[in-house]
Amino acid sequence: MNKLRLTSKSDEKQKTIIDVKGVKIGEELTIIAGPCSVETEAQVVGTALEVKKGGANILRGGAFKPRTSPYDFQGLGLAGLKLLKKAGIESGLPIITEVIDPRDVSWVCEYADIVQIGARNMQNFSLLQEVGRADKPVLLKRGMHSTLSEWLNCAEYILSEGNPNVILCERGIRTFETYTRNTLDLGVIPSVRNITHLPIVVDPSHGTGRRELVEPMSLAAIAAGADGLIIETHICPDEARCDGAQSLTPEMFAKLVTKLHIMDKCVREINNLDQ
Amino acid sequence: MKDEKINLESVRNKIDQIDNNILQLLQKRMEVARISTVFKKDIEDTGRETSIIQNLTGRENALLKADFIEGVYKQIFLESKRIQSETSTLAAFQGEHGAYSELACRMWDPTLAPMPCEEFIDIFKGVEEGVYDYGIVPVENTLGGMVGQVNGLMLYSDLFVVGAIKTPIHHCLLVTPGTDHRNIRRAYSHPQALSQCREFLKRQNLEPMRFFDTAGAAKMLAEKNPASSCAIASSLAASYYNLEIVKDNIEDLNTNQTRFLVLAKEPAPGTGNKCSITFTTDNRAGLLFHVLQLFADKNINLTRIDSVPDQPGEFAFFLDFDGNLTDPKVQDVLDKVEESTTRYRFLGCYEERSML
Repeated sequence: MNKLRLTSKSDEKQKTIIDVKGVKIGEELTIIAGPCSVETEAQVVGTALEVKKGGANILRGGAFKPRTSPYDFQGLGLAGLKLLKKAGIESGLPIITEVIDPRDVSWVCEYADIVQIGARNMQNFSLLQEVGRADKPVLLKRGMHSTLSEWLNCAEYILSEGNPNVILCERGIRTFETYTRNTLDLGVIPSVRNITHLPIVVDPSHGTGRRELVEPMSLAAIAAGADGLIIETHICPDEARCDGAQSLTPEMFAKLVTKLHIMDKCVREINNLDQ
Repeated sequence: MKDEKINLESVRNKIDQIDNNILQLLQKRMEVARISTVFKKDIEDTGRETSIIQNLTGRENALLKADFIEGVYKQIFLESKRIQSETSTLAAFQGEHGAYSELACRMWDPTLAPMPCEEFIDIFKGVEEGVYDYGIVPVENTLGGMVGQVNGLMLYSDLFVVGAIKTPIHHCLLVTPGTDHRNIRRAYSHPQALSQCREFLKRQNLEPMRFFDTAGAAKMLAEKNPASSCAIASSLAASYYNLEIVKDNIEDLNTNQTRFLVLAKEPAPGTGNKCSITFTTDNRAGLLFHVLQLFADKNINLTRIDSVPDQPGEFAFFLDFDGNLTDPKVQDVLDKVEESTTRYRFLGCYEERSML
């Protein structure tokens, strides 16, 4: 951790706040929601309007999908980005989407407000350098086999290229437990807080892989000090082309947001006691 | 399995391209046939039809049978005669199909048949000679300034301005279907379009390649498909040449607008909200000022003042202003302008529309 020149805190109070079209990540509770992948215009625009109504402040959606099997749905590519942009405009939400190929970075930046580096690409250093030169904030997911130190060094790659706006995202790591898709490492949140000034959000959808666990783990993440959440939501999860089992319905999502705001208020009160 | 799929896909891409070419040629054939009505008395000429069919069926081969050729051409003749007997209204524009002028023409009146012309002078001549009912020409662009060539032609033409339309110009990045956006390196377009997208081209690391016309660049891309290339043109050009839009609205500033004039042989019927005049003044101190003063005194808002060099040492002026001819105030000013200028001509009172 001694080489984290830009990632580590210079003083106890330092905190990076990233303004994405008025959403202040690192300051206000940030709720990113939307489908795993962009499938059709009706699906993505419909979901966007629903999550906006439910209290999301950023829209997610994948156009380039890194899939385990080459035969699985790979995403709609550029056409998917256009649909996501349309959904963003119609709902008034900024958009975040994953980029998996360094050659796509400049094109994704034409559409997206935040670019995402997925867990599988966390240590794809040429991709990190490319987004490090982009003029859009980067959400960096933690690799499923990565230590905190390895993860923060990847953030350092982006910062060292000149892009100061990195958001960390904990999404669960591989353990011997198989009941959940991954083991969501909530202990990493206060650790990140102690070491770096970068905001951190949590992905309970991939972190658990189970719809019924999304709510308790979301609340726990906020309690542990996360700046926000990224939650997969689909207007019709059973018809989703990928990761339907971990997607919330718009109704479940809206209910969860209400509870998250109560938790957020509570955490802020507790933090005030320490000051 | 994989090879077969790729082959079928590439064959289908080729077929789509050929169909697109057939449609373009049919369009051109109908346009030429429609123009021919200006030069002939009777629409039907069975002798000519027979000789065309005879000529074409003579080229029969294993894949192209004589009765098929005959069938296709009988259909074409039928449709060609139908459009010749119809009184469709023709509007000439400069450039290839898909030009921004054609887009403006469609916005002005979607029932008009837009007819492409190579040069501005072809539009003026064609309308004067009665080949076309209207001509639509750009006069000024917010980023590029006035279109000098058009003003020069207006000066010595008898045509009237019967309408005007202001349209936003949105550029699209176009590729041939199936092109991977990651492989694009060069962008072909008119120098003005290239300069309006300079920041975008820089961000995407694309080399700007100058071409005489935006729609022409799209057409060239569709026909020749040079490696690693794209074109910058209108969305209309994309549909006309069967190209894919990689990204729309790629212009750096959203203040890119062009004003077009609609020209005809006769003045516009009814009243409008805009008038245009042209005149020359003697080369003496204060003469132009005096003319402008006439408008100022009556509180008439001038919306365009262009000057173009005329005879050596002389300048012609173009004035557009808000108002209409039935207004006695306007009539009074124009009478006075005529008295104090040489070569005065009233270009028209017309409706100006804004699509912004």
